[in-house]
Amino acid sequence: MESSLKQKLFVCLLKGVVQADFVFFDPKPDDFHGVKILLQTYLDDTQWDLSGFVDLILAQTTVGTVVKIEGDDDDTPFAIVTALNLGRYKDHKCIKELKEFLLKVCQEKDVIRDLRLLMGEQAHDVGLLVSQRVVNLPPQLLPPLHDALFDEVSWATEDEPTAELRNSFRFKCYLLVSKIYKHKNANQKNNRNLIRRSGSDGGDGIVYIKPEDENFHKLSLWSFSFPMHTQQVETQEANYCLMGFVMAVETAKISTFRQQLQSLVVES
Amino acid sequence: MATRLMFENSCEVGVFSKLTNAFCLVAIGGSESFYSTFEAELADVIPVVKTSIGGNRIIGRLCVGNKNGLLLPHTTTDQELQHLRNSLPDQVVVQRIEERLSALGNCIACNDHVALAHTDLDRETEEIIADVLGVEVFRQTIAGNILVGSYCSFSNRGGLVHPHTSIEDLDELSTLLQVPLVAGTVNRGSEVIGAGLTVNDWTAFCGSDTTATELSVIESVFKLREAQPNAIVDEMRKSLIDSYV
Repeated sequence: MESSLKQKLFVCLLKGVVQADFVFFDPKPDDFHGVKILLQTYLDDTQWDLSGFVDLILAQTTVGTVVKIEGDDDDTPFAIVTALNLGRYKDHKCIKELKEFLLKVCQEKDVIRDLRLLMGEQAHDVGLLVSQRVVNLPPQLLPPLHDALFDEVSWATEDEPTAELRNSFRFKCYLLVSKIYKHKNANQKNNRNLIRRSGSDGGDGIVYIKPEDENFHKLSLWSFSFPMHTQQVETQEANYCLMGFVMAVETAKISTFRQQLQSLVVES
Repeated sequence: MATRLMFENSCEVGVFSKLTNAFCLVAIGGSESFYSTFEAELADVIPVVKTSIGGNRIIGRLCVGNKNGLLLPHTTTDQELQHLRNSLPDQVVVQRIEERLSALGNCIACNDHVALAHTDLDRETEEIIADVLGVEVFRQTIAGNILVGSYCSFSNRGGLVHPHTSIEDLDELSTLLQVPLVAGTVNRGSEVIGAGLTVNDWTAFCGSDTTATELSVIESVFKLREAQPNAIVDEMRKSLIDSYV
């Protein structure tokens, strides 16, 4: 009897609206476990120095934001966003492994040359934009979150103590590693009719897990997708499969992106 | 000695494996290196068996066992049950139980003599544990947490418990379990001891995030440095042969 009362109470709570105040923090060492969980599938199921990668992100306190809930005893990160200079950190094991991974999964010949260049010779001008969050993070947070990131990058170019550090934030280009759902028939031109879903994928056969990725994609220099082994828990449509998605976005396009992001949230 | 390893990118070794003095279970589907690390340490001494439970890989959290038996949740399929019965030594009684709290590994922690159980466990389950695993069962909490299997891990030689366990609780538990206990962490400050490591009387496996300090505490409290696996297993074999006669 007691357990059925508990169940009824639980259902009531589910139907109600939960008020949550989100707060943005600088990354700190205590966030290690929470951020690591958010980045668990960053490079699919590859075994790599994920702990080292998380340490790198948390050590960079001038640029990077961790989103938490006000007054949460658990102090759990709900989202992490940061930009890491690929040249500055090129000697770290995690960055080497990340580069190896991306070069391995890139199946498109035209793109792989650009990718190699971006991660090699041009690495000191490239920022790896890391943005991971819990699935249900309210989209209203996205504009301030991205504003925080790009503002911090620009402040760092003035405030960092050494010229070397200041220059390390003068990114010419951002590299993003993300995930999308691609319709299984998306590459077959004769199946155009099948692809037209209920408007949720905008006709190109792609469902963007992170809404801002669509904007990034449209503004990107180039992009490529690759098959993943890890399956997201909710595969609502059997015709879509989870794929990794890599994009390069020039810094010059960022202000357009920021404007578009404002209107994206207003619409929803 | 304690070994550090990862399951895919997770350091929660105690989630994907279950180690006892008589056998070791390892989740299927991880990379071969996970399985082969266990094999390398244990193959000569006890069987290492790959399995799933109810189609799940989180086997360490779903089952509980010791040298006398293995208890499985009601979600275990018939094929899995048969596979385990076939693969484990005959003296290990494999039983599937009807308990509402099906994550047995989270609710129960045990060694070969004593078990700590979740306070809401069925009376019937408690009897089965005592019977199949050959242990004395105590309903306890650990630092206020009812999931005793998650927040502590103990062998016949020592135990590690949640870092916020008070001194009084530590003493009380130590008296109940008759082994020395230490409050500590695994995997770089994680309090979920049961998920982060798996241990028996001569060896332990923990996540690769475990710091050198944590590792040295583990090796010390579980007395792994002087441990001789063959001696321990021979002792067990002798007592088993006695009981047959």
